[in-house]
Amino acid sequence: MLLRFFIPHQLPGEKIILLLRRHWFIILTKLILFALLALLPLLFFTFARDFYIKLFSLELVYPVFVLFASVYYLYIWLFMLHAFVDYYLDVWIVTNKRILNIEQKGLFARVTSEQKLHRVQDVTSELRGLFATILDYGSVYIQTAGEMQRFHFQQVPHPYQAAKKVSMLADQVRRFNELIKK
Amino acid sequence: MGIPLVIFYVAYLIAVAIFIIYSVFNIYHLVRFGYLNLANITIIFFYLFIAAGILIISWEYISQIDWAMQIPIGPAFTPEANGPTNFFK
Repeated sequence: MLLRFFIPHQLPGEKIILLLRRHWFIILTKLILFALLALLPLLFFTFARDFYIKLFSLELVYPVFVLFASVYYLYIWLFMLHAFVDYYLDVWIVTNKRILNIEQKGLFARVTSEQKLHRVQDVTSELRGLFATILDYGSVYIQTAGEMQRFHFQQVPHPYQAAKKVSMLADQVRRFNELIKK
Repeated sequence: MGIPLVIFYVAYLIAVAIFIIYSVFNIYHLVRFGYLNLANITIIFFYLFIAAGILIISWEYISQIDWAMQIPIGPAFTPEANGPTNFFK
């Protein structure tokens, strides 16, 4: 069920080995940023209210502020959902036959690319930065012989283990293919 | 002479309409391309619950406002009004 859902053209006997999303810390930082932005109207209201009331009048400032605050919070909430959708729908899948890169780009573009495991030539993991080192997330680069030469798993948890797994699976598939040829 | 306050209300309604359209697109993506597990469904309902909450609370305030008022363009800056001329006194 899970496999049929994520992979549009499932191959016979195909099983998911790795299903990777960005590390939870990435979405958490975005949500914290939006939460901080949600405090801005309260600060504005606290410090700038008297100035605007003197400039115009409370009867005029109040409706505009209510409308602005309402729209502001609605859109903060919408952008939070959008950040989650972007996080949730960017998926990298390694099956026993191929690698898939599914990326949600905005609301109206979804890019899916795939590469057979036996085409994998080189796998590199990269861990860069303070938080990435502490929380163990980073990038995995997969060099293939195909048209799309490099797969990039971005900010995935445990990149070293993921790279090792992909490399091992690619070796297994190549050995299997060589045995069949003989 | 002034700007009718109702213009802001109309702009607000347009912004809410855009918000609803974008929310529907986002939820559609979650349902169509995301795995419909309990966590995903919970997030969708939580989103709708909070969004409805913001709209209901906003309506509580908006319904009390007299939208027939006008924002004065000229008189607000005359000494008779509470304009900036008096502001620095």
